[in-house]
Amino acid sequence: MRWHNLGTVIGFEIRRTLKRRSFWVMTLAVPALLVALAGLMVFSNNQAIAGVDSGRTEPIAFTYTDASGLIDLGIAKAAGGTPAPDAAAARADVVRGASEMFVSFPADPTRQPIEVAGRDRGLMKSGDYASLARQVLLASAKARVPDAMVAGVLTGDPYVRTVTYAGGVQAPGPASVILPGAFLVLFYLAIIMLGNQMLNITVEEKENRVTEMILTTIHPTTLIVGKVVALVAVGVIQTLVLAGPMMALPGVIAALAPSSAALPSGAGAGASSEPMLPTASELASAVNPPAIALGAVLFIGAFLLFTGLLVSIGAIMPTAKDAGSAFGAIVVALFLPFYAIGMLLADPHGVPSQVLTFFPLTAPVTAMLRNATGTLAPWEAAVACASIFASAGLLLALGIRLFATGSISYGVRLDVRKVLSSRRGGT
Amino acid sequence: MQPTPVIEVDDFTMTFGDKTVIDGLTFDVRPGETFGLLGSNGSGKTTTIRALLGIYTPTAGRLLVQGRPYDPAVHGGLSYLPEERGLYKKETVIDVMTYFGQLKGLPRAQASAWSLHFLERVDLASHARTRLDKLSGGQQQKVQLGVTVMANPEILILDEPTKGFDPVNRRLLLDIIEDHQRAGATVVMVTHQMEEVERLCDRVLLLKDGRAEAYGTVSDVQDRYGGRMIRLTYAGELPASDDFTVATQERNYAELALTPDADPQAVLRQLVDAGVTLRSFEAGRTSMEEVFLRVYGADAARQA
Repeated sequence: MRWHNLGTVIGFEIRRTLKRRSFWVMTLAVPALLVALAGLMVFSNNQAIAGVDSGRTEPIAFTYTDASGLIDLGIAKAAGGTPAPDAAAARADVVRGASEMFVSFPADPTRQPIEVAGRDRGLMKSGDYASLARQVLLASAKARVPDAMVAGVLTGDPYVRTVTYAGGVQAPGPASVILPGAFLVLFYLAIIMLGNQMLNITVEEKENRVTEMILTTIHPTTLIVGKVVALVAVGVIQTLVLAGPMMALPGVIAALAPSSAALPSGAGAGASSEPMLPTASELASAVNPPAIALGAVLFIGAFLLFTGLLVSIGAIMPTAKDAGSAFGAIVVALFLPFYAIGMLLADPHGVPSQVLTFFPLTAPVTAMLRNATGTLAPWEAAVACASIFASAGLLLALGIRLFATGSISYGVRLDVRKVLSSRRGGT
Repeated sequence: MQPTPVIEVDDFTMTFGDKTVIDGLTFDVRPGETFGLLGSNGSGKTTTIRALLGIYTPTAGRLLVQGRPYDPAVHGGLSYLPEERGLYKKETVIDVMTYFGQLKGLPRAQASAWSLHFLERVDLASHARTRLDKLSGGQQQKVQLGVTVMANPEILILDEPTKGFDPVNRRLLLDIIEDHQRAGATVVMVTHQMEEVERLCDRVLLLKDGRAEAYGTVSDVQDRYGGRMIRLTYAGELPASDDFTVATQERNYAELALTPDADPQAVLRQLVDAGVTLRSFEAGRTSMEEVFLRVYGADAARQA
């Protein structure tokens, strides 16, 4: 009977959630917003590139003075520049509108600013003046270095690939953070997407005043476990709905973005042709099964702990509105370790870090973070897991007890002490 | 030999803080009977039911259903209509009824078919796909009763089942309860409607200040608080008699309380011989309403 009822509760909860229009609106809104955002970014990028291109096709005539002696007359002329005999007069011409732009290259451009005066062309286009002045200086400096490669290195940003070794084998490196760290992201998403629904597990029964009816029909544990399982199933459905557009997103962006051949190369920018993101082989070598397994275990514990907390809050609070404010405080406590991320990375084994690692409310995020960055010692992982799972179990049991014995106090906040002190006698 | 009780409450005490709501209450409910749990507001009726069903933890005493403490996983044949009504308001009538039918052990299709049949009987078939919060209070009550009586429960516990119903729907719901009585269900009713008690109940318990004020068959309780009565409308002067005393007299209406050995036919002859013109003459017992007023009159006045 109990298993039959568990299945019935799960089925009912999933069906009624999926039938709700608001569920689909909320679920589809996220990928729709992501696609819209990506489209906006691509559009904005294209517009910026188009702006740069149009700027290139419309050369700016300018006058300049050169105290550094670095400016190549030919390069400056090709860019539209004419040497000015008198800096003050040239600047005055710009002020009067007789000239579009004047540049004063200082004696030491590494220490002193390049002064530019120009006719205002709006917020975006006026930026072209500074860009033009910088390009003329860089190109002139580059022309003075006889070796083209040396010039490229000096004006570029060389790509560095670092490989570290530990115990005679290649260490996984920064890429190793990605997979164990994904559980932290997953936990965050679970809270965002499922938090309010978790709170509703118990609040809804009270608000609908269905508690008395339901609790004399099925066992409270069956009801709450069924609702939690249904919620996880709904979360998986939401994730799948989200996963489609997310996987298609890179393709969409690639299709909308202009090809790399069409991109203008920055003068002397020396943009690296090497990929900055980890390659597939780097990712493969960074797979650390124990860290991933620990991440999964911590995620499950964190999810249960969070569920237990919200079920208990829902059982105590009379309405969803009252429960909502408590929910906010819980989320702040759970993500408190993010505010101490600097300390956790710099001194992961210090006392404050360990307190955050073992204290039930902060343990999930801290332990997942430290596991991802490889600073969680095995004994620390064991203590953190024990703390998280024990607290989750206690909170779930507390939530069920509060719900079973105190939730017919409709419309009033539950006195937890009273409920817990009521002894089971007689029967 | 008495049959094994379906419900046993033995020396049950319930306190909330310093206040004792129920004090050493003992009673039982026998298989197939309809039992009325009566009392003024705050007398402890709902508390007793909630403790019986494990919603409240009793301070002391023993409360058993079919010989053991109530457990929904074991007592699938018990159905409860609570005083505090409520269902999943955002869901449709048929979905909620089917859900509860499944929880009571019916296959989904059967629960759905039963629900539709019930909705037809209570004139709500056209609302099967309507959300519960779109129904009137009375319509929601009907759905709630349907949820309670589905899957042919062996034991029905109904806390003020007809509260808020108009007379037509009240009669319909009492008919439904009677169907279950005839099918052999044991029914426990908490009610303030004394005519429902007279129509449906075999035995009653009157709770007063957390204690049993009266407990027994309806006729036993009626006898204890007045016994046999003659109600008459008349013209003339009522004679003095050793067979009766005038319990109530208002203009042309009177209620005569008969002495234990008095014969109503003899009283009728005495009235006719005394020249009283009778417009109606009815021999019966003290009504449960009269009993209720005698037991709780002072309480009711205090609460008012």
